[in-house]
Amino acid sequence: MKKNIAVLMGGRSLEREFSIKSGQRVSNALKKLGHKVIKLDIDESIVDNLNSEKIDLAYIALHGKDGEDGTIQEILEVLNIPYTGPGVYPNVVSFDKIVSKQIFMSLDIPTPPFYFLNTSSFRELGSSKLLPFITKKIGLPLVVKPSAQGSALGIRIVNEKESIPEAIISALSYSKKVILEKFIDGVELAVSIIGKEPRILPVVEIVPKKKFFDFESRSRTGETEYFVPARVSASSDKKVKEVAIAVHNALKCNKLSRVDIIMDRKEEVPYVLELNTSPGMTDTSLLPMSAEAAGLSFEELVDEIIKMSL
Amino acid sequence: MSKKITFDYWEHLYSNRTEYMFSSEIRDLLSLSARPDIISFSGGLPEVRALSFQRLERYIKRILKTNGDISLQYGESEGYYPLRTKLIEVMKLEGLDTVEEDIITTTGGQQALDLLAKIFIDPGDIIITESPAYTGALNSFRSYEAKIIGIPLDKDGIDTSVLEKKLKELGDKKARVKFIYLVPNFSNPSGVTLSLQRRKKALELAKKYNIMILEDNPYGMLRYKDKPIPTIKELDSKGDDHTVIYISTMSKLFAPGFRIGWIVAPHPILEKIILGVQSSILCVSTFSQRIAYEYFSDPSWRDNIDEFIKIYAKRRDAMINTLEESFPEGTSWSIPKGGFFIWLKLPHYLNTKEILADAVRNNVAFVPGSAFYADERGINEARLAFCTENTERIEKGIKILAGIIKEKIKLYKSFK
Repeated sequence: MKKNIAVLMGGRSLEREFSIKSGQRVSNALKKLGHKVIKLDIDESIVDNLNSEKIDLAYIALHGKDGEDGTIQEILEVLNIPYTGPGVYPNVVSFDKIVSKQIFMSLDIPTPPFYFLNTSSFRELGSSKLLPFITKKIGLPLVVKPSAQGSALGIRIVNEKESIPEAIISALSYSKKVILEKFIDGVELAVSIIGKEPRILPVVEIVPKKKFFDFESRSRTGETEYFVPARVSASSDKKVKEVAIAVHNALKCNKLSRVDIIMDRKEEVPYVLELNTSPGMTDTSLLPMSAEAAGLSFEELVDEIIKMSL
Repeated sequence: MSKKITFDYWEHLYSNRTEYMFSSEIRDLLSLSARPDIISFSGGLPEVRALSFQRLERYIKRILKTNGDISLQYGESEGYYPLRTKLIEVMKLEGLDTVEEDIITTTGGQQALDLLAKIFIDPGDIIITESPAYTGALNSFRSYEAKIIGIPLDKDGIDTSVLEKKLKELGDKKARVKFIYLVPNFSNPSGVTLSLQRRKKALELAKKYNIMILEDNPYGMLRYKDKPIPTIKELDSKGDDHTVIYISTMSKLFAPGFRIGWIVAPHPILEKIILGVQSSILCVSTFSQRIAYEYFSDPSWRDNIDEFIKIYAKRRDAMINTLEESFPEGTSWSIPKGGFFIWLKLPHYLNTKEILADAVRNNVAFVPGSAFYADERGINEARLAFCTENTERIEKGIKILAGIIKEKIKLYKSFK
């Protein structure tokens, strides 16, 4: 049945451009599916805009701040507008990688060992003096990343302890808290899960030309190779999927998620890096790639996402 | 069975040069700067609101009434002759004497760069630029697979002693150097002006090593202080007059929306350029050229330039004063006598690409320095455009940036 669907995109996040690409592609698919599409950029008029038309469903094609941190979900809850993707709680906890990693650890879900520090602790508590201790505990190389930022922005792999301060300053440009995490030399994998009865789509293996899957590796065609299903053993594939579904359930992502995992090359331990509540929907994004391998066209994927959300 | 994903079915057919054309995360971060709530020091957008739209309407009506059919037709590849006559008058104001036959109009200064790159650059050829240099030029040269060598600049422009050493070294290696690209007046991005002495030296070196100079002069007439310095083309015209190719644009004198630039070059070069035009766009927009002709035929255009100068000078002063008041020790910036840009340098441990992320979250945007280098330099540098925002917003934006930078310097010092 034809529905009025507001596609929420753009916004003030650093991933605005990426969100617009996702939103445009989703809008085109929804039109092909016969729905009426209302494209909405997220700004100070969003509440008025959502109120001014009859909207059956909001499709959240936002990435990063406001779209993946529970903000827009809470607004839509207040306005009683159904929306795609997980609810407020999974967004709030997954957006802060420190919170979600703490949850993973409490449930014995493997995640790379880490410590976190925040801006005020540097300013008020002399946390900079902790670096030698952290380096000793985690070892080098280590990954320095902001606690709340998508698309790998602000992430650096540090090989020498002298480079840690600059990496911390960099990460704190994106977030108020910084994570110093053990670097895992492994295979990068993305596991997409959809449906109220969770369905795990084929695992995507990511092979960036650079040392890790950074912003440019994600956004430039040809910078990264992808293989679906991932070229891992059947037992590893099983382990990865088990961990992914455990994460999906732990964070109560009842409709949709993409879990990013790094599989240790030696011990084949699937370490969970993070969970994404609003996976990219561009023509080079991981969820549509995975869906296609499962036999779902982009329109069918969008159709499934909206049907489970209405 | 695992399958490698192919996004682009024709990936194997693209030319090698597409490898050199790419976007960057800077571009993505800057996409936010189009929002009205962002104070933007990023784009060098001329203040077109200072133009009289009523006059423009009159020009357009007159063109349609008197020459509507011709103005909507294809035109000469060399450009509209009467407009070229007007351009002679424009260039004369900066002391440059030339004739219509030595001028060709282009679709903006950017197409002039592309055409010159097209006719001169073979893959692997060397182009020398000042460093930092205009990104649009770097991208244009790179797209023809040139190898770019950047020569540092200081407050007097490109360092000609470094240039001399480099040219000697390249000459000894018999490297294929094609030209030196220079923006001598209030350069984009550095805001720096090349001194007369160095203009002469650069010309002397080009002649000695038998290479050309590509002189790009978009901002020369937007001088807020002191007297004009002769263009390198003018210096060359006193000699054999075949070493300098001169480029300019109407984007800053009139409006960028009309997309008109021009090239002044020796006749044999123009013949090749015309072939380039014919194999690409056939001719520059006839309609735009006629509007530009009307604009430069109306004596009021000089008042517009005075008005532009008044506006930009005020904005530059606001930016420099606020930088002086609010920026911390260890930072420095250029003080341009014209043009649109100020070049900012921060301590070596600060990365302006990351500061941009922080700045954008606080509603301020600028362009990180690395965008203007052909190599890995410029990490701690940035270009601030003062031409776009009003003085109030300039002051507010600079103070926000100062706060972010101070905080980062303090944080860095805490590690010591």
